[in-house]
Amino acid sequence: MNKEEIIQKVNAALMKEFEIPEEKLVPTATFADMQVDSLDVVDMVITFEQTFKIDIRNNYKPGSFTNLGGLYDFIEKLINEKK
Amino acid sequence: MVDYHRVVITGAGAVSPYGAGVDTLVENLLNNVGAVQFVQELKDTPFINSFVACKVPEIDFTFIPRQYRRYMTKMSLYAVMACQEALKNASIEKPSDDTALYIGSTMSSISSWLEFTKKYFDKELNMVKTMAVFQVLNHSPLANVAQALDMKGPGYFVSNACASSLTNIGLAYQMIKAGFIKRALCGGTEEYHPIFTGCFSILNAASTNFNDNPQKASRPFDKDRCGIVCSEGCAMLYIESLESALERKANILAEIKGFATNTETKNIAHPSRDSMQQCIQMALNDAKLKTTDIDLVNAHATSTVAGDIEEVCAIGNVFGKDIKVNSLKGHIGHSMAACGSMELISIMKMMLKNKVAGTLNLDNIDEQCNVVNHIRSTQEIKINNFVKNSFALGGTNASIVIGRYN
Repeated sequence: MNKEEIIQKVNAALMKEFEIPEEKLVPTATFADMQVDSLDVVDMVITFEQTFKIDIRNNYKPGSFTNLGGLYDFIEKLINEKK
Repeated sequence: MVDYHRVVITGAGAVSPYGAGVDTLVENLLNNVGAVQFVQELKDTPFINSFVACKVPEIDFTFIPRQYRRYMTKMSLYAVMACQEALKNASIEKPSDDTALYIGSTMSSISSWLEFTKKYFDKELNMVKTMAVFQVLNHSPLANVAQALDMKGPGYFVSNACASSLTNIGLAYQMIKAGFIKRALCGGTEEYHPIFTGCFSILNAASTNFNDNPQKASRPFDKDRCGIVCSEGCAMLYIESLESALERKANILAEIKGFATNTETKNIAHPSRDSMQQCIQMALNDAKLKTTDIDLVNAHATSTVAGDIEEVCAIGNVFGKDIKVNSLKGHIGHSMAACGSMELISIMKMMLKNKVAGTLNLDNIDEQCNVVNHIRSTQEIKINNFVKNSFALGGTNASIVIGRYN
């Protein structure tokens, strides 16, 4: 899966499940910018773990990502490590 | 407690198998439109022998902000919509901080619980989302309505099976009457799942003989009735003390004059006429009305063989053979926790229109049910006071007396 496909799948989930408007889905967007709260973040982690078959919870460290661009990179890293 | 307060209804809201709105509900009832439909999922489920139900049509609920909607299953979505309509109908822009909320359902969302427990049995509990936790709480509709409407007052979630909504209304009435609260939103909500029909199938109480003709499947008091047709929806009342209504110059729809509830202990599954009769009589006593003051009894009558006989005999014993009786479950099936409030609102609106729907599909009155004056078609009838019954599986009985406000 290349980076473009990862971005597409992450954004699709954020729009469908979390109803975040497309215009807010820019790499510099923080969770606060996207108006998601702590419970949404927990649910997002589950969604992305299911979508990409990766383990975010046991690999996440404070500062692993701080914005959407960082999340794309973090997911890409976990997918590559799994290979 | 000597100085009781009179309690009036000033708002009503409903989501029914006909769709959203009280007007839609009442119009379809008066026009004898049946809402029962064939449900393929029931036919595809082994050991369920009833293939009919009433379901609320698709409604776009995105008007409820996602921050609230994400925790809601259908029963909460219906409840928010019905509460908003009731408030609008009562000309309440925003519920005051002392407005109480009384609501109930028979069970929490079955579909959400099934998803939740599947993850448990699959050893994937780590894949359960936070939203699901709030969806499976028993009092999920109470919590969700309160959050969505910013209702800060007392909240009670009373679950008394099919008497839930009438019990919630009755409790709210008693609290206002006694002066503990001044106003409340009250009623019941339910979301259909095939397991409901499955439960009645297990008890041999689901309608099975009209699977090829769903519109005929629910037929209270008829000699060919064969069981319950499950349904769903929500109906909510806005009620307040008479002083409160007069002070804000509210449009008073009707008055709650009396209420009673008791428990059947002879048999958990089979109601007895003695217990029902006692409940109706206690409600009349609370209302300080005579049997001759009542113009109509809207029966619980779910179209079961035994239940309909017991109830109609109880009604006949209390009021005599001339009392007018109808049931709306031939039209809209049995919406369980929502049925009491949904039918109460329907009959209240019919009272105001001087026009009452008959019992749909009552083609041939069962000889054992022929002990009252059955209303079998829409008729122009002047009603001053009516009794609404809800007699639930498990033995909870509830009767309420509603009258015109004078």
